[in-house]
Formats: sequence, structure tokens, C-alpha cells
Amino acid sequence: MNVSLESHNNWQVIKVSGQVDSKTVGDLRDFIDNELAQGQPVALELTEVPFMSSAGLRTLLTLQRKTMDMGVDLALVGVAEEIADTMKVTGFYQFFTIYASLDSIPG
Amino acid sequence: MDLERIDNLPTETIQGFRVRPGKPLPFGVSSVPGGLNFSVYTSAGTSCTLVLYSRSEEKPLAEIKVPDYYRIGDVYSIVVYDLDYEDVEYGFRIDGPFDPEQGHRFNQDNILMDPYARCLSGRDVWGVEPDWSNPYQYRSRIAFDDFDWEGDSPLEINDADLVIYELHVRSFTKSETSDVKFKGTYAGITEKIPYLKSLGVNAVELMPIFEFDEFENSRIHPDTGERLYNYWGYSTVAFFAPKAGFAASGKFGMQVDEFKQLVKELHKAGIEVILDVVFNHTAEGNELGPSISFKGLDNKIYYMLTPEGYYFNFSGTGNTLNCNNPVVRNLVLDCLRYWSAEYHIDGFRFDLASILGRDPWGAPLSNPPLLESLAFDPILSSCKLIAEAWDAGGLYQVGTFPAFGRWSEWNGKYRDTLRRFLKGDEGQVGEMAQRVQGSPDLYQWNGRSPATSINFVTCHDGFTLADLVSYNEKHNEANGEYNRDGGDDNHSWNCGAEGWTEDEWIRSLRLKQSMNAIGILMTSRGTPMLLMGDEFGRSQHGNNNAYCIDSPISWVDWSLLDSNQALFAFTQKIIDFRHKHPCLRVNQFDHPGSKHLPSCSFHGTTPWQVNWSNDSRQLAWLMSCNMDDNQDQLDAVYVATNTAHYATWFDLPGLPQEYCWHLRFNTGDINNPAQDSPSEFQDPGILVGERSIVVFSASLRET
Repeated sequence: MNVSLESHNNWQVIKVSGQVDSKTVGDLRDFIDNELAQGQPVALELTEVPFMSSAGLRTLLTLQRKTMDMGVDLALVGVAEEIADTMKVTGFYQFFTIYASLDSIPG
Repeated sequence: MDLERIDNLPTETIQGFRVRPGKPLPFGVSSVPGGLNFSVYTSAGTSCTLVLYSRSEEKPLAEIKVPDYYRIGDVYSIVVYDLDYEDVEYGFRIDGPFDPEQGHRFNQDNILMDPYARCLSGRDVWGVEPDWSNPYQYRSRIAFDDFDWEGDSPLEINDADLVIYELHVRSFTKSETSDVKFKGTYAGITEKIPYLKSLGVNAVELMPIFEFDEFENSRIHPDTGERLYNYWGYSTVAFFAPKAGFAASGKFGMQVDEFKQLVKELHKAGIEVILDVVFNHTAEGNELGPSISFKGLDNKIYYMLTPEGYYFNFSGTGNTLNCNNPVVRNLVLDCLRYWSAEYHIDGFRFDLASILGRDPWGAPLSNPPLLESLAFDPILSSCKLIAEAWDAGGLYQVGTFPAFGRWSEWNGKYRDTLRRFLKGDEGQVGEMAQRVQGSPDLYQWNGRSPATSINFVTCHDGFTLADLVSYNEKHNEANGEYNRDGGDDNHSWNCGAEGWTEDEWIRSLRLKQSMNAIGILMTSRGTPMLLMGDEFGRSQHGNNNAYCIDSPISWVDWSLLDSNQALFAFTQKIIDFRHKHPCLRVNQFDHPGSKHLPSCSFHGTTPWQVNWSNDSRQLAWLMSCNMDDNQDQLDAVYVATNTAHYATWFDLPGLPQEYCWHLRFNTGDINNPAQDSPSEFQDPGILVGERSIVVFSASLRET
């Protein structure tokens, strides 16, 4: 798994590629803890994430709580269909705003 | 102050894993800073080895022999650090004597599942044949239990106000016709919540969802070649784990979250969740069955054994869990507390509950400690406790189940009486009168209430409603036992032809009989329960014991919702009627009634006079109370039933002069049985058609 920080309009974009599971999720969590700037909305770009385990999904929730505390918007971008399905049946989906691509984020 | 605790630090390294002595409570796995605490009980075992696996690997990651000084009493506990919670699977090897005559069946070669495992792998996707060569089949995993309930808690609906809907998780939406995305799963039920809400039920009772193995005793049908399963799942493998194969996300090990999401969404819709739980026996069978967990941990403690060391079989399935042993009793309590606290479950229905009241040698106890503990438990205090008040060892306790003021019962007598009454058997009027008022003959003498009685005409066991009116005999050939299995005491009537028929008259009569059954059920006091699909005529083609069938025979066919719209609409309306009329839900045998009318009175073709004779087939009841929101206003419902094969005139009982009767339902007119805009009924009585029921409600006269 690779994580990098990019930007799109006024959004800070965390771009993830590769599988997010218990083996890799620590890196993602560290990245979120250390790299996020205050006061700027956050997009998590997941187009190149084929699979996300239970631990991965839980980190998304942690991120959601964190952005809520920061008072900024959070968007998930390019969530694979199977991941979206798992998120729907387990109740994770309802906590997120999800876009097909960075360009479809309004404003 | 953030003090670092020194007991968070490992004390030694075993097999490359940093460990320390654990804490014996709670049993199973709990998370501690930096590690996991494992705790397991064995009274006669002589050593314990924790076996760790990486997910799905056949070979263990490590085997950590728990040092003897980590044991306190009969409990081994150890903290292991640095484990990958999501990836790790674990089990135990327990050494000890193999001496079946003394009750001991220890075998160091077996890897045993944690009896407190909250999540299991090994049967992740329904119907995928397991690799039987794998020595560890049912693999304990760690559950996160960090679900975001967002303020949800159990609904605590009054028992008397419930309308229960019994369903099998897979059968409910497995069919293509279900029109849901996640067929046959917990998520599939979530998708059907709008339907359940429109039907008007406010509780679902789920057939077993504790992890079971559909491949247990699985076999191939000798004639059709179809695979037969342990489909219903009345055979628990893991009491603390939801069945993964019922979860769309089971392949990712997320069944815990998916099931919680189902409960949360049902609660949002005002629907309670009752679990059908099986504590009378386990999936380990008798001496020929597999050693999954209890057998190898402490056989003699967990099972009822004969003096020769064989298994008592009060459950009819091989073994009997020794529920009144204090250790087993605590396991059952821990289990139910867990489901109540962690899953927000609203109630439990106990399969063959009478077994839970037997002592370790099988004799019925007058004051069974387990039933008492459950009744007075602080966490379970608002949970519904429902007993199937009989067992396969001949104990039948409907009306005498040790209730401690808390337990209600599946009222098998209600079912049998209603069935006999419906088909016009002789001598039923007297008993039917007991049943519709909540069975005071069974429950009043011991200080219980009408809602003690779970009323039903069908349940998973036996015919569906459509089959009850279409078959005289069971037709269980699909079960592969030459029609020998299943009950013969069905009290069913096919209305003139066995099974499917083109005869319009017979079809109409069947529809009417179905409406009559649901109509009486919904106008009886007590708690009504419907079986999934009965509201639109679900059939199992005469199979009254589809416990092994995973096919369209057992799946709900949702296309019937269109073709049997009339029955569905009738059911929906009469459930709504029940919710609107408190007099049908009075939960007191000595209720004073309303200002003008007694709480419950019986009538015949002439008001206040019932023909109680053997050949009588006419019975009417009038229920009354004051309206909840306006004590000066009367609520009254009058139901007249005629199960004779000829029409019969019933004079209507009088009402205070400011009230009049409105005719609400008349199954004599099956095309239009419900009056959507009722008006004042002008006649002094009504001709009730052959095998028909009518329902009236009292309304203030329009001035």
C-alpha cells in the first residue's frame, strides 16, 4: 500500500493505492495523524484500492470522527463496488459522502 | 493523570511471543493494552496450549503452552502481545484423561474452539463445502465489538402489544423473487424492512443465527441427488458468534457488524428482534460426533451423561447440555447478557426450553436455577423470555413452565385448538373460548397474564398456513426419509382436494380459511405470532418438516405477494386493527372492562348465550376496555365465528345508545373482506356465512 498527499481545488487529497488491511492500515493511520492540515476539507482517494478489510473500514471511521472534530468535510472518492457493498451491509456507508471521482466533488 | 500500568507489560517470551499471566475473567478473549487476554476453563484437563493461526492457514503460527502457574483454580489465562487482531485465529489443546466411562474425552490431538468465541471462521460462505482434511474446522476469531449504535437501545415494547413475525434468515430473501440485492442474508432482511413495516409487525423472531454448520449430517437425497443440509440450524456450534454464512460480508469476516446493522435498522423501524436460541444441545452429537469444543474441554461438566458415560438424549439430537450445572448455567447467562448488551437483542425464544429445567440426571426440577437466574438477571430484566415449553424427552409444560413471573410460552394448545376449531371439529367451542382470552385455564391460576401466551397457528415446525388448508397429510419426500419424518398430528384439512387444484370453489375456501385463521389470531388476547409468508400464502408443497431443504421449497416466493394480494391486504388490515384496539391487547385476566361492558364476554347466535354443546360450531366474543387516551370512551370489538358448513344468523349484542357497530371484516366475502370506510351497521344481526368470521368495532354514533 502507498499513501501520498495531493491537492484538488481546496481539498487535501489522501491518495491510497493497494490493499488496506490489518497489515497496512497502521501506515495509513500514521499518515492521517501526521500529514493532515487543519481547516481544509479532506478527500480520500481510493480508486486504486481493490480491497479494504474490516480494520481498514474502521480506520475510515476514525478518520470520519477526526474530520468531524476538525470541523471539515470528508469525502471518499472512487470506492470500488465490492467495498461499497460491504460498507452498506455493515452500516459504515451511511457515515460518508461518496463521489465517483475528484472532479465530481461539487464546488 | 495517565498512569502507565505495570501489568500492561509482558513478563516473558514463549515461542517468540511476548506474554504474561492473564486475568481469568472474562472468559474468552478480551483486549488489553498491547495484547489479547485469553481465558479458558477446564476442570479435569491437565494442561492447556494456546494454538495460534494466521487466517485460514492450515498450519499453526505458534503453539504456546500456557505455563502451569498461569492457572488459577480451573482457569488458564494468558496475555499474548503484538497479535494482529484481524488476522489471528486461535484454539486450544487440552490434555487430560480419555476415559469415557468416567465421562472424560480429552484428546491432545484435537484443537478446540473457544466456547466463548465471538466470531468464527471456517464456514464463511453458505454451502461452500469445507476442506474436511483441515484438523481445525471451526476457528475462533476476535470480534471488534466497536459498533456505532448511534443512540439505539432495545425497544422494550409491551409484551401484549407485540405482533411477532417468525422468519428464517436465508429463506426469507434467498429466492430470485425477493428483489433484494443481498439475497439470503442479514442485509437482505434489512432491505425488506419497509415491507415488514407495511405489514405492521413489530417484532421479528429469527430462527437460529448462532454459528452452526449447515454441513452437519449433510447428505445427498437418495432419489433426487440434491444436497440436504442442517438448514434450520437448531444445532449450535458457537453460542457467542453470529452465523457467518448468513452475512453478505461473511467472506470478509464482518458478520458481527452486518448483524448489528440489521438490529439497528429494525429498531429504527420500531421492530424488535427476538432470537431463537438453542441451549438444549450442541453440534457435538453423541459419542460418535465430532469433538469441537465442550467435549474436549470438560465433557463431564457440559453434558448430561448416563452412569456408563453415554450421552442422555432429551433433545432428540444426540446430546443434552447440562444446563443446571453452575458452570454451564453461567455460560448461558454470559451468552444472553452478551447478545442483549452487545447486540441490543430484545428477546429470546428458547428451543425445547423444558430441558433447561432438568437436573444433571435429567429429572425435572421444581425450581430450576437457570430459569430463575435468567428471570432475575439485571441485564436481561427487560428482555422477552419465551419458552418452547416442552422437550423431546416427554416433558410437556405448557401452562406449568417455571415462569418466575417473567417467562412467556409458545402456546401449543392455542395452535391445536384453533386448527381443530377452524376445520369444524366437534367439541371445540369451550376450549376455543379459553384460547381467545389468553388461555386463563393455563395461565390465570398461577398469576400469569394473557401475554404469557404466544398465540400462533403455524410456525417453522409443521405446515405453513397455505399448506394447513391444502393438505390432509404431510408430504416430506424431499427430506429423503421416505416421508417418515415430521409430525402426523397436524389437525389440517385440505378443503376437498390434496394439494394443488384448479377447482375454484376449493381455492376460495382455502383463502377464506386462511383469513379465518389470521382473523381469529389477531383478535385473540395474548401475543400473536405469524410465520413468514403466511400473509401471502407461502407453501412448502405439503412438507411439514423442511429442516434440511435449501431450495425454492423452503424459500419465500415473493411472487405470491402479487397473486395472493387479497390475503396480504386482509392480514395487513387486521394487524392494523389490532394495533388500534386496546381491548384486544388487554393483559390482565381480571381486567374490569369498560363502563358498560365486561372485559371479555362470550356470545352465540343469541347475545350472552353460548351453545357450549359438543356439536356447536358458533362462537362469538366481545372484548372491551376504555380507550387509552380517553377513559370516557369505549373500545369494543365483537367477533363472530361460524365454522359450520352452513350460514348462521347472529344477533348483535347491544351497545350503550351513543355507540353503534361498524362491520370491519367479513371473510364470507373473500373478494372484499375488509371494510375500508365502515359506517353504522343498521341491522340487528348478521348472517355469518359458512366457515366465516365477522369482526365489528364500536364507534360513537354520528350526530
